[in-house]
Amino acid sequence: MKLERGRTAVQEMGRGALALEETGEFETKLMRINVGPQHPSTHGVLRLVVDLDGERIVRLTPQVGYLHTGFEKTMENRTYQQVVTYSNRMDYAHSFGHDLAYVLSAEQLVDAKVPERAQRVRVLLTELNRMASHLLFLGTGILDMGALTLFFYTMRERERILQLFEMVTGVRMNYGYFRVGGLSYDLPEGFEDKARAFLDDFPKMVEQYADMFAKNDIFVNRTKGVGVIPPEVAIANGLTGPSLRASGIALDQRKAAPYSGYEDYDFDVPTSTAGDANARIMMRFAEFEQSMKICRQALDRLEPGPIKDPDRRISLPPRRELETSMEAVIFHFKLVTEGFHPPRAESYVATESARGELGYHLVSDGGSMPYRVKIRVPSLVNLQSLEATCVGGLFADMVVNIASIDPVMGDVDK
Amino acid sequence: MSAGTADRAGAKVAALAEALVHLGAERADQLSGAILVVPRAAIHQAAATAREHGFDLLLDVFAIDWLTYPGHGGPRFSVSYHVHAVAANERCSLRVQLDDGDALPTVTDVWPAAAFMEREVYDLFGVVFEGHPDLRKLVTPEDLEGHPLRKDFPLGESPTLFNDGRFLDPATFRAGMIGASQGRTGWIGGARKGVLSAAIEADGKGGDA
Amino acid sequence: MGLTDVFEKDVMELEKDGILFSTLGRLVAWGRSNSLWPATFGLACCAIEMMQSTNAHHDMARLGSEVFRASPRQADVMIVSGRLSKKMAPVMRRVYEQMPNPKWVISMGACASSGGMFNNYAIVQNVDSVVPVDVYVPGCPPRPEALIYAVLQLQKKVRGETFDEAGIELPMVEGWAR
Repeated sequence: MKLERGRTAVQEMGRGALALEETGEFETKLMRINVGPQHPSTHGVLRLVVDLDGERIVRLTPQVGYLHTGFEKTMENRTYQQVVTYSNRMDYAHSFGHDLAYVLSAEQLVDAKVPERAQRVRVLLTELNRMASHLLFLGTGILDMGALTLFFYTMRERERILQLFEMVTGVRMNYGYFRVGGLSYDLPEGFEDKARAFLDDFPKMVEQYADMFAKNDIFVNRTKGVGVIPPEVAIANGLTGPSLRASGIALDQRKAAPYSGYEDYDFDVPTSTAGDANARIMMRFAEFEQSMKICRQALDRLEPGPIKDPDRRISLPPRRELETSMEAVIFHFKLVTEGFHPPRAESYVATESARGELGYHLVSDGGSMPYRVKIRVPSLVNLQSLEATCVGGLFADMVVNIASIDPVMGDVDK
Repeated sequence: MSAGTADRAGAKVAALAEALVHLGAERADQLSGAILVVPRAAIHQAAATAREHGFDLLLDVFAIDWLTYPGHGGPRFSVSYHVHAVAANERCSLRVQLDDGDALPTVTDVWPAAAFMEREVYDLFGVVFEGHPDLRKLVTPEDLEGHPLRKDFPLGESPTLFNDGRFLDPATFRAGMIGASQGRTGWIGGARKGVLSAAIEADGKGGDA
Repeated sequence: MGLTDVFEKDVMELEKDGILFSTLGRLVAWGRSNSLWPATFGLACCAIEMMQSTNAHHDMARLGSEVFRASPRQADVMIVSGRLSKKMAPVMRRVYEQMPNPKWVISMGACASSGGMFNNYAIVQNVDSVVPVDVYVPGCPPRPEALIYAVLQLQKKVRGETFDEAGIELPMVEGWAR
């Protein structure tokens, strides 16, 4: 079974027929197929070079970089507060997760004291965004299998969440709402009621179509037993997040190293032992419940209070003070133009994004811009498991496998 | 201040540090967690030892270019291997210092997950990993020369041109903002619009009103 | 109305009776403008909003533009949604060249139109240096409503109802040529 050049198709067929007589197997020529970077089922600009033996995949090489944006280099030329506007544009499906990971890491550098309310709001928004990200994943994932209807259902819920975010931040995506040391401004009036109303509606909405996943013959047959990743292979390939938990390893940074007050919340880490595409996709449904639990608890504990670190060297003074206090104006000017100067150190806080472990490794040289930003993105590392899931399987299953690992190309290419 | 990863170095990391002492490893902890600085020659052996000690999940391989870091002496690059022990829930970094042109042995045989990470470091910093099965560029285009994340690689900003002829060089402007230089904006075709018309009015000639 | 009326009455009278007169070119352009099929060319954040614009809430299907074609050979309009990296630019040019004439391009979002906030070595600073652009949509990312408005503007352009900066009517695309 070698890729031999210079033979015609007829010669190949003749050779195959001879082999059939000798060994009982029809010998075929390998075919190399290019998938992407512009392809509807690769979730963005992922490119795959696939060697096929008939319908079976023999070799698969992901080619990434078609959305390389130079985030790390650009962030090294921005002040610490300006970086927040960049971080959320990387993983556009789970923006708040990226914002949170960055501000936590920067706060570790400057040792900021984030008030209770800010932490609750951060957790609330991040979990809501996790749900939105999973909804997008479910909708586009099943779209790849040909089920168009479910896409409209999941997008309907996502629209509700986006409207909540729009109420808070003014934009539907790419929020930039968290700041080093707290939040940009407080939640608007009436947000809590709307969020509660959504959390009450959400299970009913999901109920309408959960069976269309769980009991849908086409979906189940196409995902059950497809792309199995054994736990040891998953660990060896660096897989994290829901995909790793579907392989039976309960590694969740929210539990393993709680940040932002996650230690106070009561939630479980759902796992599954199947490790196939079905388990990975249904894992998102299990995560919905946990996210809703966390959101409810965060809403219950939301109490009025400050939303920023009072330290004037990190956070901007309130607007009304600028009219009366010269000192406030000076601090404001200094922060906006120059930014703050963290001490020389390196920081890293591991967080759990919707796709896996996410963290910003910041190196400070004492200046107002980070010396080095290294982002540990989950999608890029998770993509390495694609080879383990696809090789030996059918070509059509590749689409399912890509969908089940849930790569976001902005997150992959940085 | 939330609980960070700094306190995630316990008995396992201490045992690993102990086991690496004979290789010449030193502990240099940072806020980011425990860091074990290993001599360049011993990095592959150190990685294998870490794997034996239960650090089975390789989270990240990344490089830092210390070229313009104030007060930095010693080799130009450092490459870190961020590893996590799933069973013990502990983590640490192995770090190795190297100069421009030095090669490192690959750790893909220890952790297969290093394949993409080492390619990324090779692409963005030009650090060669010997023995890597497929050492090609990862993210940058084939025709891009140089390694973008090196400190001597320019950011590649293009100046912003406004309708009224004013243009703004982002790097100079930013340097002005943080106080590194006098921030300035440039002008194509002489003085600023408002200033010019005011001057003409004062002269008493021209003026379109 | 009998057939004889068509020959006896004059144009004004016939239009009163509900018979419209047009050129074949205008008719084709009208039909074309109401079935602008976009190619699925999702790049970054804006692609999510592009998907969102076809959902039940925004429903771009009202304008006949909901059929996202995976093959560029079946598409009329390319929506460049998101930042275009220098590695992707040749690919995009090829996809554009694969589309049959007449074809249009919507540059969606700040990054596609001007490089946006990514002024660096990796991002193409404006998409119109790679393909000719008909409609620019501002925003980061633009709301689905903004994209729908852009499609409406493009429909006007297809029907030849647009004017250039000097106020001169722009010609519509050649609809009928022998």
